[in-house]
Amino acid sequence: MASGEKRVEIEKELSFGPVHPALIEPYRIRLFVNDEIVEDCELNINMAYRGIEKLFDGLPVERALLIAERVCGICSHVHAWNAVRVIEGGLSIVVPPRANYIRVLTNEMQRITSHLILFGHAFEVVGHETFAMRSFLLRESFMDLISYVGGNRVMPSVPIIGGVRPRADLTESLKRVILERVDEFEEKYKGYVTRIIEDPLVMSRLTGIGFLTKEDAVRFYATGPTGRASGWDYDVRTKMDEYKPFEFNVITDESCDTKARIVVRALEIFESLKIIRQVVKSLPEGPVVNQSWKAEEMDFTTAYLEAYRGELMHSYALDSHGRIRNYKIRTPTPTNLAAMEHACVGDHVTEAILTIASCDPCLTCCTRAEVVDSGRSRILSDFEIVQKYGWRK
Amino acid sequence: MNLKATSRKNAIHIMVAYTGGCNGCDIEIVNAVLSPRYDVEQYRVLLTWNPREADVLIVSGVVTWQMVEPLKKIYESIPEPKGVVAVGACAVNGNVYKNLVGDIGQNEEIWAPVETVIPVDVKVPGCAPRPEDVITGVVKALPKILEAP
Repeated sequence: MASGEKRVEIEKELSFGPVHPALIEPYRIRLFVNDEIVEDCELNINMAYRGIEKLFDGLPVERALLIAERVCGICSHVHAWNAVRVIEGGLSIVVPPRANYIRVLTNEMQRITSHLILFGHAFEVVGHETFAMRSFLLRESFMDLISYVGGNRVMPSVPIIGGVRPRADLTESLKRVILERVDEFEEKYKGYVTRIIEDPLVMSRLTGIGFLTKEDAVRFYATGPTGRASGWDYDVRTKMDEYKPFEFNVITDESCDTKARIVVRALEIFESLKIIRQVVKSLPEGPVVNQSWKAEEMDFTTAYLEAYRGELMHSYALDSHGRIRNYKIRTPTPTNLAAMEHACVGDHVTEAILTIASCDPCLTCCTRAEVVDSGRSRILSDFEIVQKYGWRK
Repeated sequence: MNLKATSRKNAIHIMVAYTGGCNGCDIEIVNAVLSPRYDVEQYRVLLTWNPREADVLIVSGVVTWQMVEPLKKIYESIPEPKGVVAVGACAVNGNVYKNLVGDIGQNEEIWAPVETVIPVDVKVPGCAPRPEDVITGVVKALPKILEAP
């Protein structure tokens, strides 16, 4: 209802942020409210602009991996993995199958921790502390497993070009620990999900708000669980060679509302557990890294990967010294948030933040550019900030 | 321990200001304070989002240009005595965003470290620091608050 033939009188504007209890990350929400019904919504996500794509320019490709992993702290493995997939695809570097299995394993473990963060965040917004705390407790077992594999809870640094770090190789005892923890986790998690789905209070709060039809999901390109909750059967994992040996289902839901977005993620965790079991049980023997490669000139190459929130793209070229030129990252959150801006229109104002939180916004990785003047709101440009505060000494 | 310190010790409030890092430290802090495993609330250290009732400000992340002014405002509205804990390598020295820049020297898009914006009492390095380290950092900041006149 932002533009068009019908002119809407806006009664009140509610703005939150950039630091606000309901928003963990710095972003600004402006809700244009008429009689407590949201008429329009505007999201400013440029608080975390770090100029990260520019940092890659001119770095040797091995060093750039350090930055690529630190694009996002929740999905660190996905960024590191996709950054090496670009050069592996462009220079045809052969990756040993054992390394691919370990990368898939770390990816699925981090997918579980990422989805559990969403439950923690969403139920905090709903106001149900118990479910939020329980999801944080469940998450700890997989944070431990990630730190056993990679050595760090948040930044495991598993993939390197041509394979995985030798430290991340799975030993027999670690395999046994993973299988035990997965069984333990599945039992506890089943109880947790059953409680959520059978809780009439929480379900009545989630059902019937934030509708996003399939046509809108495709139009906004809302990928990942957000699109799958609108019935759009799209998952990059089904097209990837790395996931060929494993058997899993793509979860979709036709009910298109906030409940569907939570339930799709809840059921995806079971599929991830299935993949983890298959990886550990059928792990091939052999080396974990292929070091016989040389960085040389490479044309623009693009790699796609299913991150935890949707489709992720990395793309860059290498010059004749093996240095990176024109890095480009596209993360799923900008398109998902645009869809959520659309989805929360027409709902009651209390449900708007819940709807926005239900697409699992991760804003640090998606901030690529600053819009200073969007016509309705204006922020200080870099030049004005320098004029106000001076250059940092 | 005098009466003032005793009463202060019984209700330490932490506020988290997140200034644009990668989210990793932020979640680890909330984890350290809230989550059932590293529960700090059992020691009567509580998480708050209101700067006027906070005692300890935990800052994480590189300070992006858009966050300089909000961070100063938050710091000024916390009543005395107050302590500031910078958590994570980004807040301490700028990490890879500041220093690992190929042809162009240091990165000018960000204001890291936090020290250049507000005074910092305790620094917790690590990328990302473990929740145990965050708890230790908060405990190190407490004497300044308890012993203040």
